[in-house]
Amino acid sequence: MWATNLKVVGIVLGTLALYTLIANKIPQVQSEVPQTLTLGANVTPEQLVAAGEKVFNGIGGCPTCHGLGTRAPNLLTDEKGTGPIGARCGKREAGKSCKQYLYESLDNPTAFVVTGYQPIMPVMTRQLSPEQIWSVIAFLESQGGTVDVTGDDVAKAKQLTPGASPANSGGSPGGGAFAAGSTDPKAIIQAAGCLACHKLDGQGQVIAPDLTHVGARRDAESIRKKILDPASSIAKGYEKLAGIMPKAFGTMMSAAQLEALVQYLAGHK
Amino acid sequence: MTDGALLLQAAADSTRAYGEFPVIGARAFIWITAEVHLMFAAFVLGVPMFAVVTEAIGIFGGDERYDRLSKEFTRLLLVAYSATAIWGAMLVFGLSTLYPRFWAYLTAIFAPSMWAYAALFLVESFTLYLYYYGWDRWKKGRAKLGHWTLGILLNLWGTIVMFIANSWLTYMMSPPRDITPTTDPTTIKLWHAIANATWMPINVHRVIANVVFGGAIVGAYASYRFLAAQSDEERAHYDWMGYVGNFIAMSALIVLPFAGYWLGREIYQYDQSMGITMMGGFMSWLWVIQAFLIAVLFLTGNYYLWIGMGRIPGAERFRPYTKYLLIVLVLGAIVWGTPHTMIADSKELAAMGGSHHPFLGALGVMSAKNTAVNLMILTTFLSFLLYRRANTRPVVPWARGGTIIQGAMFALAAGVVLFYGIRGYFVEAIVRIGFSVYQVLAVLSCIVFVTVIDVLMARGAQSLGTIQWGKMPPRSQYALFILAVTFTWLMGLMGFARSGIRQYWHVWQVMQDTSKYAATPALGYASKMISLCVLIFLTLVAFVFWLGGLAEKSTFVASGERQGGGRHVGH
Repeated sequence: MWATNLKVVGIVLGTLALYTLIANKIPQVQSEVPQTLTLGANVTPEQLVAAGEKVFNGIGGCPTCHGLGTRAPNLLTDEKGTGPIGARCGKREAGKSCKQYLYESLDNPTAFVVTGYQPIMPVMTRQLSPEQIWSVIAFLESQGGTVDVTGDDVAKAKQLTPGASPANSGGSPGGGAFAAGSTDPKAIIQAAGCLACHKLDGQGQVIAPDLTHVGARRDAESIRKKILDPASSIAKGYEKLAGIMPKAFGTMMSAAQLEALVQYLAGHK
Repeated sequence: MTDGALLLQAAADSTRAYGEFPVIGARAFIWITAEVHLMFAAFVLGVPMFAVVTEAIGIFGGDERYDRLSKEFTRLLLVAYSATAIWGAMLVFGLSTLYPRFWAYLTAIFAPSMWAYAALFLVESFTLYLYYYGWDRWKKGRAKLGHWTLGILLNLWGTIVMFIANSWLTYMMSPPRDITPTTDPTTIKLWHAIANATWMPINVHRVIANVVFGGAIVGAYASYRFLAAQSDEERAHYDWMGYVGNFIAMSALIVLPFAGYWLGREIYQYDQSMGITMMGGFMSWLWVIQAFLIAVLFLTGNYYLWIGMGRIPGAERFRPYTKYLLIVLVLGAIVWGTPHTMIADSKELAAMGGSHHPFLGALGVMSAKNTAVNLMILTTFLSFLLYRRANTRPVVPWARGGTIIQGAMFALAAGVVLFYGIRGYFVEAIVRIGFSVYQVLAVLSCIVFVTVIDVLMARGAQSLGTIQWGKMPPRSQYALFILAVTFTWLMGLMGFARSGIRQYWHVWQVMQDTSKYAATPALGYASKMISLCVLIFLTLVAFVFWLGGLAEKSTFVASGERQGGGRHVGH
C-alpha cells in the first residue's frame, strides 16, 4: 500500500512541478503600478529612452494598438520596408524632423494620419505629463534612429504647460489654458479633438456616435454628464467603444467652456 | 459630500489602509485563504450536484449502486463543509485586518447580502445534515422522493450562496459605470452593485465548473480506492465509480468553453482595455499555459476512455480509430496553444520579423483557435460515443441508416466549424466574433441529435458481452489523478486571470490598491502560489477522505453481503 501511496504522491507532485516549471520558463511580465516620472535638466538620452520604454509599455498603453499591426502601424518593427519608427519618422511629413513629427503625432494625432489607418489615436499630451511625452519620443527615436531629445525639450514643454500634472495619468494643461481660454464651441471642439471620433455638421469621423443631431437625443444635462463622465451612458451600438472616450475633459475645460460646449451641442437638434 | 460619505471618509482616515502578515505577506495570505476556500467551496457545491443526480438515477433507474454512491459522497461533504467555513473565516479575518479600508468599502455596499449569505450558509448546513442523516430513514417510496428534494434544496441554497459571493468579486472587476472614485458607497443601491456586467457570466461559468470539479474529485477518490482495493469486486466497484466521475467531469468540460467565451465577451464589452490586458497584454502568456492544461485534460480524458475500451468486449472494432482521434486532438492542442499577440521587446519583435510570427501567427488568431477547440470537443464526443457503443450491436431495423445519419451529422458539424473558421480570416473582427456562435451551435446540435439517435438506436441492442469492471491497468487510475490535479490547477490559474486583470485596482477604476503589493505578479510567481494552494487543498481533501473512511465503511458491499444488488454491468 505504501508503494501505491508513494506513486500517487509522486504523480501529484510531479504534475504540479511540471506546470510550475513551464509557467516559470516562459517570459515573466509583471504588471507594475504606474510611477510618477521626474526628469532633471541633465537627463541623458539613455535615461530618456529607458523611461520612455516604460511609459510606452505601461501607462501609455501604446502596444494596445501599435503592437497589433491592425489598428495602428507597428512602431517597433519594420513597416513596408521603411524600417522601425526611428528610421522612418523623419520621412513621414515633408519639412518635419523626426522629433517634430513624433511630437505632432502625440499632440495632434489627426494632423497626419498614415494611409490605411483610422484617426483613432487619442491626444496623448492630455493624458501624459511632458516628461512622459518626451521620454516616449526619445524611446521611439531609438528604434532605428538617433535620439536628439534633451532635457531642454522637457523643460520648455513644462514651461508651456505650467498646469501639467506630473502624475501618472490625467495630466492636463489646466482649465483656462485649454483652447487658449476660448469659449467658442468650435475652438473647444477643435482643441478637444472631438472630430477624431465623432462627426459633426459633415466633418469628422464616424467611429463614435454622430453628434450632428445629438440635441435631439440628449438634453443639456445628459450631454454635460456624458462629457464629464463618459462611462455614465453608452450609446446603443457603441458598447464596444466603452472606455475609449477620454475622461479628463472635466478637468481640462473651464466651467464656462464646458457650458458653452454643452449648449452648442444641445442646440444640434 | 453626503453624511454617509463623510462618516466613511472619517473612518477611513482614522484607520490604517493596510496591515501586514508575517513571513509571507498580506497578499500571499489573502491569496492562499481565498483560493483554498474557493476550492473547498467548489467541492461542496459540485459534489452535491453529483450526489443529487446519482441519487435520481438510483431512484428512477432502480439501480441501488447509484444511491450508495451518492451517500458515500454526501458523507465526505460533512467534513468538507467545516473546512470550507474555516477557510472562509480565515479569509474574512484576513481581509478585515490586512485590507481594512477596502473591506469597509465592500461592507458599506454589500452588508445586507453578507447577512443573507451567512443565514443561507446556516440553512444549507442544516439541510445537509438532514440529507445525510436522513438517508437510511427516508429510503422508500414518497419519503425517498422527499429525501431527494432535500438534495435539490441543498443545491439550491449552495447556488444562491455562490451567486451572492460572486456579486462581491464581480463588482470588484466590473463596477457599474456610474460609480466613480468619489461615489459614496453607502448611496450605491445593492441590486445595482450585484447585477454588474460580469456577475451572470461568472455565475454560469462557476456552476458548470463546479460540476467538472466535483466529477474530477470523485474520479480521483475512486481511483485511489481502486488502487487500494483488496478484492476484484471492490476494484470493480471503484472502477465503475471512477468512470462515472470522469464521465460527468468531461461532459461538463465540453460545455465550459462556451461559458468562458460569454464571460470574455462581457469583459470586452464592459471595458475593452481590460479585455486587451487579459488577452493581448501582460497576461497573454497565461493563455498559452491554459491551452497546455486544456490539452492535458482532453488527452488524458480520452486516454482514460481508450484504455477503458480494453475491458469492453466488442470494443476492439473501434480501436483502430483511436489513432486518428489522437491526431486530431494533438493538432487541435497545438493550434490552441499557438500564441498570437503578446508583449515582446524590440529585439524579440525584430527576431520574429513583426508582431506576429509569419506562419504561426495565422494559427494564433481566434478563427483558428475556435476551430481547433470545437474539433477537439467533437472528437472527445466521438470517443464517448464509441465507448458507449462498444459492447452493443443495434438491432433496430433502421440501425444502418441511423449510423449514417450520425456520421453525416459529425461531418456537417465539422464542416460548419471549418467553414466559419476559414471564413473568419476574411471578415471584420466584429463579424468574426459572431461566427463562433455558429460553430458552437453546430457542435452542440451535433452532440444533442447524435445522442438522441444513439439512445433510440440502443433499444433492445444485442450485447456483445459484459463490461469487465475492474479489469483496468493502474495507469488508467493515475490518469484520473492527473485529471483532478489539472482541473484544480486550472481553477487556480483562471482565478489569477480573473483577479489579475484588475491590476492595481481593488475595484476597477474606482478604488486603487496603494499597498506595497499593488503590482500584479508575473506568471512564475503566480504558478508557485497556485501549486501551493493546490497542494494544501489536495492534502486536506485526502485527510477528509481518510476521515470519511474512519467514520464509516465505504458503500462497497461484497457480493456475499449484497441484498439484491446487481453486478456492475452496463454503463
